[in-house]
Amino acid sequence: MQMMQGNIWISLNPLGFAQGMTLVLWFQIRPSYGRAIFAPGTSSEQPNSNSQFRGLSVILADDDHVNRTVTKKLLEKLGCEVTAVSSGFECLSALSSAENSFMLVVLDLQMPEMDGFEVATRIRKFRSCNWPLIIAVTASAEDNVWERCLQMGMNGVIRKPVLLQAMEDELRRVLQRAGEGL
Amino acid sequence: MDVLSQLQRQLADFLAPLYREGFVDDQFTQLQKLQDESSPDFVMEVVSLFFEDCEKLVNNMAKALEQQVVDFKQVDSHVHQLKGSSSSIGAARIKNVCIAFKTFCEAQNREGCLRCLQQVNHEYTQLKANLQTLFTLERQIVAAGGSVPAMQ
Repeated sequence: MQMMQGNIWISLNPLGFAQGMTLVLWFQIRPSYGRAIFAPGTSSEQPNSNSQFRGLSVILADDDHVNRTVTKKLLEKLGCEVTAVSSGFECLSALSSAENSFMLVVLDLQMPEMDGFEVATRIRKFRSCNWPLIIAVTASAEDNVWERCLQMGMNGVIRKPVLLQAMEDELRRVLQRAGEGL
Repeated sequence: MDVLSQLQRQLADFLAPLYREGFVDDQFTQLQKLQDESSPDFVMEVVSLFFEDCEKLVNNMAKALEQQVVDFKQVDSHVHQLKGSSSSIGAARIKNVCIAFKTFCEAQNREGCLRCLQQVNHEYTQLKANLQTLFTLERQIVAAGGSVPAMQ
């Protein structure tokens, strides 16, 4: 974390419960780091929608229209701000665009043209730090998929079809680990 | 029993066998959970999207299977896509046919593939009719002042 000259602390929401942990991250690399701040209570969302991940900017890459629509909605339900793209190429170009500062990439592994593994490899190549976080989405039931993902520098894996609870759990786990590792 | 309760009862009675007979599964319930005030027609929109995609894929599969020399890899990739999208909206029967369909593709069995294609068509038609009835019932409930989904 020192290398990125950022700062990280854990602050409890004044209500003390239900909101869980508020994670605030600052990046020196991007001028728009202010966007990563959480602002509890400023949103007009219904109380029953999850606001743990409010403000988390996510880029979702999935070539299937139906899957993309469902997963996007799911992430939004969890409070994320989602940009959905339909290919590895679009994903990479969105990430390299200067105005964007995505914290998380949710990546379908089985895309034609450029699969998720390739995308992840390229992301880790041009970004030497551990951001953005990458969560892979796969239909595969094989055990070694997780290992392969880790080797490529990914941070999490979710099996298809994606369930709200599963995504929530994996997001929380990945964010916690990212916080601890620095 | 007032009109609203009657309608809600009708909906529940209609929905239960859909689950029991495997037309839809838990993933469909998941979809309904994602629907809220900010997107009150979410389920209907996603389902429509799915049916559009399904039709296109079925057409492509049919064309591929008509060829003199069938490109089974091509057919398989269409089936794979259909399996994925049917799985994510909870269209269990269609997904299951796709699983069998894939096996025939791998075995390069044209007859088997054609049979599966027919089955996909059949399941798609049935599901479409069922969901249209479901959405009509839901609309009536909303019009009567109730809210959906009735199944929590």
